Amino acid sequence: MLHIAKRPRARLLVMFVALSVLTAACAGGEDSAGTGTETTTGSGSGAATGGTVNISGSSTVLPVSQLVAESYADAGNDANVNVDGPGTGDGFQLFCQGETDISDASRPIKEAEVATCEENGIEFVELYIAIDGLSVISNADFDAVECLSFADMYALSGPESQGFDNWTDAQAIAEELGSDTEFPDAPLNISAPGEESGTYDSYVEIVLEDIAEERGQEAQTRPDYQSSGDDNIILQGIQGSPSSYGWVGYAYFAENEGAVKAFEVAEEPGGECVAPTPETIASGDYPISRPLFIYVNAEKAESNPALAPFVDFYLSEEGMAAVAEAGYVDIPEEDLEATRQTWEDRTTGANFASE
Amino acid sequence: MIGGDAPVAITTPLSAGTSPEAVRRRLRGRRVDLAGVVLRVALLFSLAFSLLVLAVLLYDVVTGGWEVFASRFQSFMSGTLRFSAGESGIAQALRGTLWIGVFVVLLAFPLGIAAALYLEEYAADNRLTRFIDVNIRNLAGVPSIVYGILGFTIFVKSLSGLTGGRSVIAGGLTLAILVLPLVIITSAEAIRAVPDELRLAGFGLGATRWEVSRTQVLPYAAPGILTGTVLSLARALGEAAPLILVGAVVGRLGSNPGLLDLGSLDQRFTALPIVITYWAGLPQADFRALTAAAIVVILAIVLLANAAAIILRNRFESKRG
Repeated sequence: MLHIAKRPRARLLVMFVALSVLTAACAGGEDSAGTGTETTTGSGSGAATGGTVNISGSSTVLPVSQLVAESYADAGNDANVNVDGPGTGDGFQLFCQGETDISDASRPIKEAEVATCEENGIEFVELYIAIDGLSVISNADFDAVECLSFADMYALSGPESQGFDNWTDAQAIAEELGSDTEFPDAPLNISAPGEESGTYDSYVEIVLEDIAEERGQEAQTRPDYQSSGDDNIILQGIQGSPSSYGWVGYAYFAENEGAVKAFEVAEEPGGECVAPTPETIASGDYPISRPLFIYVNAEKAESNPALAPFVDFYLSEEGMAAVAEAGYVDIPEEDLEATRQTWEDRTTGANFASE
Repeated sequence: MIGGDAPVAITTPLSAGTSPEAVRRRLRGRRVDLAGVVLRVALLFSLAFSLLVLAVLLYDVVTGGWEVFASRFQSFMSGTLRFSAGESGIAQALRGTLWIGVFVVLLAFPLGIAAALYLEEYAADNRLTRFIDVNIRNLAGVPSIVYGILGFTIFVKSLSGLTGGRSVIAGGLTLAILVLPLVIITSAEAIRAVPDELRLAGFGLGATRWEVSRTQVLPYAAPGILTGTVLSLARALGEAAPLILVGAVVGRLGSNPGLLDLGSLDQRFTALPIVITYWAGLPQADFRALTAAAIVVILAIVLLANAAAIILRNRFESKRG
């Protein structure tokens, strides 16, 4: 009885294997580039629509591209837009090998990466799309300190501050770094994003890295603080102590202004103190901010019919709405015009290139 | 082929130089076996500890994911990767994981069991065989990320014409290769445990090696082989690291084909472990519940596979008896 039952099943299995290998071979042969114009089954015939756009790169920019792709699809475009976020560096590696159409980046492309792209004959259009700003925050009633320099922040939250549970503990390091900020005699309770967060990375890169390097320390925060990936829990922690310290993405602070206070920030000790507002962040006066980019493969913008319409949509009013929705700051109108012009002219090359 | 004297070599004598008086005392005495009690408690504790950890894990993910199942089971199972937690779902991940399972079952299982059968029943016990045996054992211990690099080089790059590059085919093949050594080792162990008398009786009746393997060895070893293969399947379904290299997508996947749509096997894909890893790292609290719910789903899939294996094993065992 068992044998009878087994036979047809076995035959089915063999057929199945043969079938799957066959379909795989056929599909693979049609489109070896991987970014061609295959349409998904059941998505209509449309020769002008369809196609695939592959986006990879920064996990910080990922939500923006994700949201743009979602509203692009909601607007009735049936292109397959795939968005991945392994990180800016990994993204450029793929991009410079011609594997992706668009690379998300939370920093300008590096010269070494430009060189790799050149070696592989990849030209790109660099599009500045958003600003990521950080707010350094405390309890709304905390008024002992109004303005912090990077040196103060390093003293309070850098790798050398482990174990400091009073603001005064940080005084010595701050003074060593040339700061004359008077820290109050009050408990120091830190609530901030954990290492998994892009906000953590931004804080370390912009605020701590240079000073840590100078002092021969690892570029990281102190490990002993209340870390959370959830902004609401950070906010609770900040409100729970009258002399707390922490940092969040600007967009989140903006939504909760009044419930917490944001410090003014000076890059150098004694430098100009700037409060975070959309204007100061957009103008670059507020020091803890960084530009966000997308890089478009110039050759693919021609050869992949799905790509150019998607980038057009990305830079439109509708696409740019994703910036605020994802929690970032819109770039000033004239910068957006410049970005659109760059795209229009397909101007290639890096204008923001850093070392 | 059959290492009959191996177990003796590693056991120590029960009690060396025991005198008849000592034995008599042990058998007749009423001394409490303190060491025995301690060992028993320790063993019980180990068991209870493992079960407790499992129970806590299950409780944690089920309570964490419950509200997702209760409020939007349908849309969670059929939804795609999205920005907002309220709209995200695991249909695409489920599809990727399912197909990875299919590739493992179709490729790793037959290849692995055949290789084990060859090593145990056909290959001569010489230096080369032992060398291969040791190597397979070492391969089973190679970190999964290394298989990811292998899969990337071979299936994504070299064979992109066949796999379509960063596709679920490449992912499935990579994970099939990853578990192949495990399948071989566990199957070989099961085949080795088949009593030699069965084979000898078969040969004595004039059966060929293949007939003996097919009618005696494999059915007898089937329960053991099944246990090994299911463990391998569970391992393959839970692997995230190699898939990152092969190119599983986390942010958004444009297409959402049906579960059985063979035509889109060569396109970009995602899988449950990757999605779980990604969601778990997202700052939005709502994704915590989704993460837990996705973990419940992958646990359910693995448990289903286990249950299938147990049912099959029982059938084989009752047949054997």
